[in-house]
Amino acid sequence: MAKKGLLGGSYKLLSEDDIAQIHDTSMRVFEEVGFQVNSDKALAFFRGAGAEVDDHIVRLPREKVMELLARAPSEVTLYGRQPEQNITLGGARVYAGTGGTALNVIDSSSGERRRATLHDLKQIAKLVDGLENIHFFLLPTYPSDVAVENVDVNRFFAGLDNTSKHIMGGVYTLDGIRRVIRMAEIVAGSADRLRQEPIISMIICIISPLKIDRNYGDMIVAIAEEGIPIVVPAEPLCGATSPVTLAGNLVVQNADSLSGVCLTQLVNPGTPVLYGSVATTTDLRDLKYLSGPIEMGLLNAASAQMAQFYHLPYYATAGMSDAKVIDAQCGYESALTGLLCALGGANFIHDAAGLLDFALSVSYEKYVVDNEIIGMVMRAVEGIRVDEETLAFDVIKQVGPAGHFVSSRHTRKHMRTEQYHPTLSERENFEVWEADGKKDTGARARERVREILFAPGYRLPEEVRKGILEEIQGIIY
Amino acid sequence: MTDDIIEQIKQNVIQGRMDKEDEGFDGGMVGQPGVKELVQQALDMGTDPRRMVTEGLTEAMSIVGERFEAKDYFIPDMLASAETVGEAMDILAPHLAKSGMATKGKVIMATVKGDLHDIGKNIVSIILKGAGYEVNDMGADVTPERIVAIVTEEKPDFIGLSALLTTTMMAMKETIESLAEAGLRDKVKVIIGGAPTSAEFAAEIGADGYGADAFQAVRVVEELKQRS
Repeated sequence: MAKKGLLGGSYKLLSEDDIAQIHDTSMRVFEEVGFQVNSDKALAFFRGAGAEVDDHIVRLPREKVMELLARAPSEVTLYGRQPEQNITLGGARVYAGTGGTALNVIDSSSGERRRATLHDLKQIAKLVDGLENIHFFLLPTYPSDVAVENVDVNRFFAGLDNTSKHIMGGVYTLDGIRRVIRMAEIVAGSADRLRQEPIISMIICIISPLKIDRNYGDMIVAIAEEGIPIVVPAEPLCGATSPVTLAGNLVVQNADSLSGVCLTQLVNPGTPVLYGSVATTTDLRDLKYLSGPIEMGLLNAASAQMAQFYHLPYYATAGMSDAKVIDAQCGYESALTGLLCALGGANFIHDAAGLLDFALSVSYEKYVVDNEIIGMVMRAVEGIRVDEETLAFDVIKQVGPAGHFVSSRHTRKHMRTEQYHPTLSERENFEVWEADGKKDTGARARERVREILFAPGYRLPEEVRKGILEEIQGIIY
Repeated sequence: MTDDIIEQIKQNVIQGRMDKEDEGFDGGMVGQPGVKELVQQALDMGTDPRRMVTEGLTEAMSIVGERFEAKDYFIPDMLASAETVGEAMDILAPHLAKSGMATKGKVIMATVKGDLHDIGKNIVSIILKGAGYEVNDMGADVTPERIVAIVTEEKPDFIGLSALLTTTMMAMKETIESLAEAGLRDKVKVIIGGAPTSAEFAAEIGADGYGADAFQAVRVVEELKQRS
């Protein structure tokens, strides 16, 4: 039984005083430094709210910031197309899933890297639909074989038509956004229904440090006007686009993402919005972005505490690796950052499945590996239940000294839920493993990939599919 | 009616439901009769005990075995089922004797001298009993002398020896040698099991068979039985 939405938050690396200092410093940034807004539409909203605007630099008093944040819902439900796939973000509830947007696919048996295609995206959607511990589908790859004006509709259609899990994605054009929303309305049944039960959501990044880009600003306005759930994450990189210190990075990330939240609430008060972090470090020997450093786990876990402080649902980033193939590094980096974030109570841990190679590439097998990691991580989030039933005095008494618990009813009753039961890990005796071909993790993952991809998968109902293809331009199928 | 109750016995064995207090594999079954009550009820109705064994208990255990192989069932599930069969066999034994159906054979089980790790051996005992064998479990730290004595006295068809430690596994060899010295080696089949042991080790010390797990132990016993 896949566990999700459990309460994290047992790992608190920031003290109350730390949180207060990060908050206060971020507010000083809003008041004394300001942020650059290059979208005229976005700028008009800030001006209308009485912000001090000086050549595209917007400064907001902290009272105004807090007033705008208070308009944002503290809980957002992202819908799947089956009720058990709905995920309600907020507080310290934890979910994890895929992320993107990668350009390549690494074939883990040959080690070769090639451009990702639309076909890959459909296959990965089907794969993720079959992986029980992945809670949502964030569109993970950019299809190299689709013209940019049709990328948005084709990406979302690939998701909607191959998995019934919630679909989130980055978007590339304003026209694409409109067509994607219309397509989702057809799937949902009506425009109202889509707003009541949003089966899609979109991501628009704030550019660290302290900048809302022109196109991105226009797109935040467009999505917020539509009332579709939106994420406004920031990606400050230690030593490059933020101070090298983790606390300084948290201030930049916090101010950046809060500026995006403020904009959505100016455009359309009450718009479902997720505060977000994609913060990490850079390799200061060559300024490479890193996707698996332990500091990334710390930063993204800390921001969970900030999100809880502001009562905002939180989009976090963890569970990636800079390894190139299915090896030890790809396991330990993904597991460590993912675990820190989940124990910190991050609501929506994206990028937690499939990504390798600085998030430039995905591997089909890595999704299977990460499915296992997330399963284990969720068990860790669940923690240890202590009560009369689990303390089991009566059972201990019944079994007595020198007895055993293997045939106790109590064992049978709790063994399936008390322990995480792996679907990938090797737990056979050496002889059995040897006789079965000495398969390593990658080889076993490859078998699961084949099993899922060869089986029948999810498809949109035929009349819905037909309706979409008739009305929405540019879909390749 | 007879078919119904045999089917119910079968389903309850698969569920590992001993009695009406048991909530069952999927829960919510408290109050409904379990194997204990159903077997008694079937006897009262005049159901042939041989049919209960072959169509109820044996068929059920083969399904349990399949589920275990498919990794749906864990060892505690398998044990729960085997225990219900053991209980059913205890109730049915006198009736089966009357109808001329003997047990499949007598097995002495022991963890060898110097070794106190007996959970594995206990599990094999339950499963063998569930498979229809008469099992006499002598416990742990059993010396070769005691084994020679009980073989002389009870004339079992099989002896199952277990050891968990590399330091105690040689006591298995000692036990087999003691049986030979007492002139009993050809009177009984010896099978061994336990983490450090293997089929090679079994051959090396002159045992007749090796079981890597409880189900394999039963298979080995069945094979040896057919060959003899």
